[in-house]
Amino acid sequence: MIGDFSAIVARGLGIRRSRRWLLRPTTFEVTHGVVGLAGPAGPARSALLETLATLRSPSTGDLEVLGHDVTRRAGRRAVRARLGLLPARFAWASGLSTHDFVAYASYYKCTPRRAVDAILERFGLSDAAAFEMDMLPQDLRLRAGLAATCVHEPEVVFLDEPLSGIGDSEREELIPLLRGLAPAVVVTAADPAELTGWCDRGFSMVRGRLIESPCVPLPRARVPAGV
Amino acid sequence: MSDLGRVLRIDARRTALFLAVPALAFLGAVAAWRAMLPGVAYWDDAVAALFSSVCLLGPASAGFAAWVALREHRLDYLRGLTARSPALGPLLDLLLLGIVTLCAYAVVAAVVAAKTMIHVEAGHPKPIGPLAGALTLLVYTVVGYLAGRLVPRLPTVPAVAVVTYLWAAARPEPWADLLPPPGVGHVGLFAALRTELLAAQALWSFGLGAVLVTGYLWALTRHAWLALPTVAAAGVVTGTTLWLHGQQRTPAVVPRAFAYSCRQWPLTVCVHPGLHTALPSLEAALTPLAARLSGTPGRFVRIEHRPDNDFPRPGHGVVYIHLSDLSPGYAHRAAQEIEISLLDARTCGDPRHAVGARYSALVSAWLLDEGPPRLDDAVAARAFARWDEQRRRRWLHTHYARYHSCTLRGRDFHER
Repeated sequence: MIGDFSAIVARGLGIRRSRRWLLRPTTFEVTHGVVGLAGPAGPARSALLETLATLRSPSTGDLEVLGHDVTRRAGRRAVRARLGLLPARFAWASGLSTHDFVAYASYYKCTPRRAVDAILERFGLSDAAAFEMDMLPQDLRLRAGLAATCVHEPEVVFLDEPLSGIGDSEREELIPLLRGLAPAVVVTAADPAELTGWCDRGFSMVRGRLIESPCVPLPRARVPAGV
Repeated sequence: MSDLGRVLRIDARRTALFLAVPALAFLGAVAAWRAMLPGVAYWDDAVAALFSSVCLLGPASAGFAAWVALREHRLDYLRGLTARSPALGPLLDLLLLGIVTLCAYAVVAAVVAAKTMIHVEAGHPKPIGPLAGALTLLVYTVVGYLAGRLVPRLPTVPAVAVVTYLWAAARPEPWADLLPPPGVGHVGLFAALRTELLAAQALWSFGLGAVLVTGYLWALTRHAWLALPTVAAAGVVTGTTLWLHGQQRTPAVVPRAFAYSCRQWPLTVCVHPGLHTALPSLEAALTPLAARLSGTPGRFVRIEHRPDNDFPRPGHGVVYIHLSDLSPGYAHRAAQEIEISLLDARTCGDPRHAVGARYSALVSAWLLDEGPPRLDDAVAARAFARWDEQRRRRWLHTHYARYHSCTLRGRDFHER
């Protein structure tokens, strides 16, 4: 059932490249909380995330994000400022400081300059603000990427394998941060087990099909509210 | 610094623009320098050299722009999900790439202008020429950038460079040589580029660049008003293409009025003013030849520099030379040309006079101060070698007609 309050509503959404279905037509909705999307890394998963983030048009079907029909240009323009996307192995500006990197994103997100300092503070990057992105350890670099993605406080955030290559202790610190990024967070992982325990809903991508799969959430008491 | 200025600075650092300017400028300057004639420079040929540099600089700029587009594509997750216009990122990229390209081109143009100003005694600078080159270069950049945006794969970078290079190197139709960058090669000293042709080429490049940029912006934003400049620019491209197509039977260069630079003593040597620095060398090289021919029917007192396609008959003491540059040995080449003009090509080319032609070659070697050729008639060769300058001159005075017609015989060299 699709509710009126859904952040994302897809009806018969299909993504095709050349003659191959990356995602066969499917219907689903995302309301709020953390939605896990498990599937092998590859074009299908990235294409779905890019489509939901309006960077790519669906081959077939309807797609509404935050109440806007994003198959139309006007809908995409209206909603883009309310979305955030962090690709897997995201690119950054080499030789650039963390502060400048987030400020760069902030310019395109039309946020005031003070928002940069605020989000660096919120993500625990104040001390690393002057460091070059290349010099940061992987978990801090991820925090910087998240800060750039969320500097405009989006309502829906898409994260492609954010925790890949992150150590266990850092994961424990990062998961609460990821959960609090936005009202709705769509996060992918190659292995469903990586999502178990901290997502509220789960999907799996199997041979171009999107299948809802059980996702065991952490008890509410164990999840810190934001960071 | 404003927010936009900070973003531009970051993008400039990201895409190594500060390294690209000197690299592209060096490449373009080398290409332009190689295209210029040694020892001589004049404004019309400077424009041709700039076009030659564009033929190399353009593909390099296109490849670089494709690489920048590729890199910027990886930041679409930040620049695409924007509250600003989706055209902003590409426009900023094109602005930076345009600045880089034009800075490199300005360096190349400065090098070419400096060399030209050192030598120039001919022609006038035509700003429309460098402008046409700059606009053409911007089109290359736009093409490379759009290719990188549309196909964001690494092979796009070399593919764009190769395809744009081939556009300049191999045109599908001969008339397409008139499209930018035009394949003008060298502009002769006595010729000038047609200003209206340069203007049409500048307009064509401007139109094509505008079509590409506005068309791409329309694809990004779907603003209906962009159709107007796109269609207008397409009209400009179509109109100028048709006009250039109509010019295929008209030469790309036209004769230019000029006044000779001359040196009056001991010979009168007159050359195109673009070669005025050659006058002392020519005077020094040609005076001995004139002295040896003095008193013969081949005597001359005036040497005139002529266009490459103009071969008047020498006579009445006037001979003609053809020089397009001052590469090493030019004065000797001029003397050779005069000496060859002394011989009757019809009889000297006749196989029946092959022996006589070899005797004439012996005399020619003396006239040009060259080493004597190998001759079967050792007696004649030894005799001629023994004679002093005065005796040789007297001998030539007597035997000039046979020398001229390549009908000399062995006994003509017998000492009496």
